[in-house]
Amino acid sequence: MILSPEVLTLLILDVILSFFSIIAFVISLKIVFKWNFNSTSKTQYNLEKQSFLGATVIKYILYLKILLFIFFIFTLDKLSNVINGAMCAAGVVDATSYGIYLLLFKILNIYLFGFWLIVHNYDLKHEKLPFTKQKFIFFIFIFILFICETVLEFTMFYSLDIEKLVSCCGTLYSTSQDSYVSNLFKLNQNYFLISFYIVFLLQFIFYYIKNSYLYTIFNLLFLLLAIITLILFFSTYIYEIPTHNCPFCILQKEYDYIGYLIYITLFSGTFFGFCVGLYSLYFENRDLSLKFFKLSLIINSFYILLVSYFVGSYYIKFGVFL
Amino acid sequence: MIELKNLTKIYELNKNNKTIAIENINLSIKKGELIVLKGASGSGKSTILSLIAGLSKPSSGEVIVNNKQVSKLPDNFASEFRQKYIGFIFQKYNLIPNLSVQNNILLPLVPKNLENKIANELLEKVMHDFKISHKKDEIVKNLSGGEQQRVAIARSQINNPEIVIADEPTANLDKELSEHFINILKQLKEKGKTIIVATHDPLFFHLDFVDSIIEISKGEIKSDT
Repeated sequence: MILSPEVLTLLILDVILSFFSIIAFVISLKIVFKWNFNSTSKTQYNLEKQSFLGATVIKYILYLKILLFIFFIFTLDKLSNVINGAMCAAGVVDATSYGIYLLLFKILNIYLFGFWLIVHNYDLKHEKLPFTKQKFIFFIFIFILFICETVLEFTMFYSLDIEKLVSCCGTLYSTSQDSYVSNLFKLNQNYFLISFYIVFLLQFIFYYIKNSYLYTIFNLLFLLLAIITLILFFSTYIYEIPTHNCPFCILQKEYDYIGYLIYITLFSGTFFGFCVGLYSLYFENRDLSLKFFKLSLIINSFYILLVSYFVGSYYIKFGVFL
Repeated sequence: MIELKNLTKIYELNKNNKTIAIENINLSIKKGELIVLKGASGSGKSTILSLIAGLSKPSSGEVIVNNKQVSKLPDNFASEFRQKYIGFIFQKYNLIPNLSVQNNILLPLVPKNLENKIANELLEKVMHDFKISHKKDEIVKNLSGGEQQRVAIARSQINNPEIVIADEPTANLDKELSEHFINILKQLKEKGKTIIVATHDPLFFHLDFVDSIIEISKGEIKSDT
């Protein structure tokens, strides 16, 4: 186990947040079983007070967890300095069998945490708190994932062995057998690239015809294609090396931490895109749905400009494409 | 217009330390009425006022104002409700001592983001109505008790609320100023405002324009005349 200051910070915060999440979980259970907004009984008034307390606790836990995700990535990158063979966070993720699952789990969870916060904000905008029960049911589900994530995080850091030699990103993101994505490299990257830009343009069309469900589905496609094209194509222009396809090295100082901006843009743009569907499905609020449409389109457009910029600037600098 | 149904408020510090402030209060107040809640200190008058204004939540029961269940409103909506419907006059005025008279009176308008011109028109009107215009720029802490109360009344009226709630409004005033305050209440009633006054000041008990005097004792309604 490595107990670097960053790992210790993460683990201590995990313990503190888990403690508060257990309190929120108990409140959630009470609300789920006893909530009746129309009642004027003592139990209901107590539940209303507790729901505000519980929701506030959950809100801050989830905001912190979203911020901690960035810190987690930073920690993985920092740990690459002490793990044999690791050149960036990719090596640390690969150092244990839990790393990749934890990372994927965390990405899934930040989307879910964000959705909870959206539901919570929407609920507070209404006098009769119509989504209180639903948001606490949702939290019970999130709590299970939250605890699983915490256990997985402890397990991963506990399993890290600095003596063990791990693969570097040059191997992991290549056509070699050890690669996560070796099969991807066998496919024609142009198909992915064309699909990526087409899916982006289709989002504009779905915005104009205000089809929120298609917009959300294509937003998911956009997310997947964005990650694939980042690995297969855009990363090589950021590194200015045709054989370097690592999605983690861009998080390093050598590349001006541009990876953080790229991933925050990608995740937030697609998050708001998913919210479009969420709003249409549950809340039927056109104004807010429109707000998310616009936010998502603006951020996704920024993502497209950002990654395309590296291709353009390489071409201007060297007069060729990689 | 204002209805209290089976209203109970228990202050519960812990399981062994409970204070029943009011218990099973049922009351109905019509629009334009002036009601006096009379009773000794600790009888539950102020609790009733704070529940009507949505300043606190009951332990059980309902407060309905203009068909809106005030007791069920989340805090942000309760604030909006107060801003729209309630003018609250506190016993100790609750003014900001280091602000000027006009800035104290303008405070309830801050969340509304009104244009300066409109806000100033409202300010001039209430200052004129409550005869405090000449002290406009004076710092509140330098005013006399009676003047401070007029500022507090002006502040409570700048939003032109339908309901005026006054908690022991004459507790810090001499007889002359108390009578002046009662005159102001009469004017407000003539304007059609619903007024609820909690007091143990005998000056309020024989006024011809009071619609009802309700005696509260140990958290319960003892008599309604």
